Amino acid sequence: MSIDMTQFYQVFFEETSEHLATMETLLLGLDVEHPALDDLNAIFRAAHSIKGGSGTFGFSDMTEVTHILETLLDRLRKQELPLRAEMVDAFLAAGDVLRAQLAHHQGGPAVDAAEVAEVCGRLQRLADDDATGDGPAAPAADGTPIRQLRLRCVVPEAVLATPRNVDHLLAALEELAAVRIEHRPAPGDGRLDLVMTTDQSDAALRDALAFYVAPEAIELTEDGGAAPTGQVEQDAAWGLFDEDPGYGFFDVPTPVDAAAEDYGLFAEAAGAPGRHGGDDGAADAGFGLFADAPGAPPAATSPAADATPPSPVATPVPAHGAMGRRLSDNPSVEVAPAGRRDTDKTVVAANTESSIRVSVEKVDQIINLVGELVITQAMLAEAAAGLDPARADKLLSGIELLARNTRDMQEAVMSIRMLPMSMVFSRFPRVVRDLAGKLGKQVELRTVGENTELDKGLIEKIADPLTHLVRNSLDHGIETPERRVAAGKPPKGTLTLKASHQGGNIVIEVIDDGAGLNRARLLDKARERGLPAHDGMSDHEVWQLIFAPGFSTAEKVTDLSGRGVGMDVVKRNIEGLGGRVELESSPGWGTRTVIRLPLTLAILDGMSVAVGEDTYILPITSVVESLQPNAADVRTLAGEARVVHIRGDYLPVISLAEVFGQETGIAPERGIVVVVEVDDGRAALLVDALLGQHQVVIKSLEDNYRKVPGVSGATIMGDGRVALILDVAAVARLGLERDRQHRLAA
Amino acid sequence: MDNTSSTSANANEYLTFTLGDEEYGIDILKVQEIRGYDTVTRIANTPAFIKGVINLRGVIVPIIDLRIKFNLGEPTYDAFTVVIILNIGKRVMGIVVDSVSDVIRLDSADLRPAPEFGAALDTRYLLGLGTLENRMIIVVDIEGLMTSQEMALVEAAP
Repeated sequence: MSIDMTQFYQVFFEETSEHLATMETLLLGLDVEHPALDDLNAIFRAAHSIKGGSGTFGFSDMTEVTHILETLLDRLRKQELPLRAEMVDAFLAAGDVLRAQLAHHQGGPAVDAAEVAEVCGRLQRLADDDATGDGPAAPAADGTPIRQLRLRCVVPEAVLATPRNVDHLLAALEELAAVRIEHRPAPGDGRLDLVMTTDQSDAALRDALAFYVAPEAIELTEDGGAAPTGQVEQDAAWGLFDEDPGYGFFDVPTPVDAAAEDYGLFAEAAGAPGRHGGDDGAADAGFGLFADAPGAPPAATSPAADATPPSPVATPVPAHGAMGRRLSDNPSVEVAPAGRRDTDKTVVAANTESSIRVSVEKVDQIINLVGELVITQAMLAEAAAGLDPARADKLLSGIELLARNTRDMQEAVMSIRMLPMSMVFSRFPRVVRDLAGKLGKQVELRTVGENTELDKGLIEKIADPLTHLVRNSLDHGIETPERRVAAGKPPKGTLTLKASHQGGNIVIEVIDDGAGLNRARLLDKARERGLPAHDGMSDHEVWQLIFAPGFSTAEKVTDLSGRGVGMDVVKRNIEGLGGRVELESSPGWGTRTVIRLPLTLAILDGMSVAVGEDTYILPITSVVESLQPNAADVRTLAGEARVVHIRGDYLPVISLAEVFGQETGIAPERGIVVVVEVDDGRAALLVDALLGQHQVVIKSLEDNYRKVPGVSGATIMGDGRVALILDVAAVARLGLERDRQHRLAA
Repeated sequence: MDNTSSTSANANEYLTFTLGDEEYGIDILKVQEIRGYDTVTRIANTPAFIKGVINLRGVIVPIIDLRIKFNLGEPTYDAFTVVIILNIGKRVMGIVVDSVSDVIRLDSADLRPAPEFGAALDTRYLLGLGTLENRMIIVVDIEGLMTSQEMALVEAAP
């Protein structure tokens, strides 16, 4: 069997990062006092899947770490050990190590071996801890006591032919028991001899091996000679299958109807905890990578959930199942396990089919094509506008239908790229937990609107600015518990992350109930740094100061923040995405940072304006208002530069015609000024006329050409012509620069 | 690029076109298509030979007028003006020429080196001069030319 494994690497990488993310989320959600068994099991499953996958692909470093991790988790989920906060920390650290190792396998930097050893040691210590025996070791209340068993059997040569099978077999057992191997089966000598300590029933153990060794061929004895009591009849039941070749069901073609008949019987048995657990354990070990699809509902694959400890009711169930099958008196009895396996498979398959992994390029290609379609449709509509409706009614209604369909299609296609905000928010519980611990603060993180969807491109790019804001809030915003209590607030601060739709925008808010910004200190700092600041500034203007490059009010520089590289970068990044940042703060009550982003990077709400013979698109997000100024409102400054007086403010007038090299621009009083938000205030762009407002598909100029100053991209208009999309802030800078040079030249 | 279906290993096919009175040839494998001249969208503050950009089936393609670049008379734009769409590396760009004449086969051995003449066209981008029925074909390294600094079509390499 020589399959090229590399083709599955990417799948492994993706799945493993998903498992790691799941693990982390669950760990952070764990209630240390009363951990939910389901969660522990889910964490164990995630670790186990990683172990299985990394083993299959030969990433032994990851296998080692996960193995130790799994050992400890296993003890936890079997309630042999109580969960402690330090364990959660160790698990998180192990998750980090695994992530680093994963990155290394993907071509990242090598992982610090000392760190790995440290984490492994920590886990090992925690796992060994119970030797003192203070944990609620044996779940005595639940029936089957912990026993020491000796297991002997001969593994069929067919199974041994694939060496990995032995590993899977042992792994399946190790899930249920602590195993000491006396004799390991090898091709030529299939004897398996081991001693194990377990709380599982014999049936569950046999079941775990069902894929490899016929249960009746397994010899189980209490170590020390005592015969297994209470299991005898059951063993006898299994004994009925003595001649039964059924467990080699891989060889026997399964009659479909027969399987279907048994289906119902199994449906009952599937609910039986002990049995299902055992079976899944085996399936998991063998197929962990592929079968344990992410998103499989816990109910479908819960090896662990039900595996611990088998209740008295559960134990006889296999017998019951077997009996049921015997009663059916059907020759297909033998293939029952195959049927069962099939049910598992169908559940998993149904889940994988409900979502598919597609490369982003393919999606982008579809989006591009739909963009073309939209343009073609607009061209058709424009061409048809001149037709006589009486004579071309069929054509016109067809074009109308086309318009509706393309619009729907565009929306549907764009939604493919949409991801929920929870993709970003999910990283913050960890960030907040770690930071709060480091800073000695108590912080509760609340997230609202995780299901708000945002374009994938934006999701990726918004994570860093958001992390920065969250760090800022924790470091500078939320006070220490003592200070909070002194200020009459609860010792625990609250940090809220909120996402919502507002019009065509996504609004993301970072809200803390901390100390708020200190107006006086901001002003002092600004003066110190030579920024234009005076006491008469409005609060809004003062808050804007912290977006100035190099600005920091932190009294001391910590390793978290305070170096003053930050808010300006945050602002620039968000503006780069076509968004805006605003800040509100009130002393003693906290700070609210609001980020507004367009829904997607591929489409933009634009206002088209005419400048001479050219058409340009201004992004609506930066447009504040547009108006025709009175001649009296336009003044000159120092003879040259023009300003326009709008609602009490004097804004610089930037003539697009001049910026874009047309000889004569229109006189301001005959044209229209569009007031836009730029870096640190507003400017009035002078244009000839406003043409309209539309959604435009953004095309890159740089693909085939180069970056053009003042232009962020291009789009194709309804008539098939290209129009340039302006980068308003850059245009304003260009305009002001031009004026300055004019003055110097004069 | 390999010379598929060529009779001799050193023969290449060239697309020839006229600029004013001169005849030029470029490697046909760089040519994507030939189309009529359409209105372009001007890009401000660029050299005069960059006419602007067009929409080529949804792709924004810059258009360069070689007649302006090579100072070959007053460019006219009429129904016969032709744009040759080129594939240079991963980029698509168009050049405006007066007319496209032929596809010819030239042996590289038949190419004569061009004399240094310090004109608008840097001899670096001349592969040589070929002769075909008493016509002189100026064979241009179109890829080198279009990606050169002086064309300012491509961002300077970092």
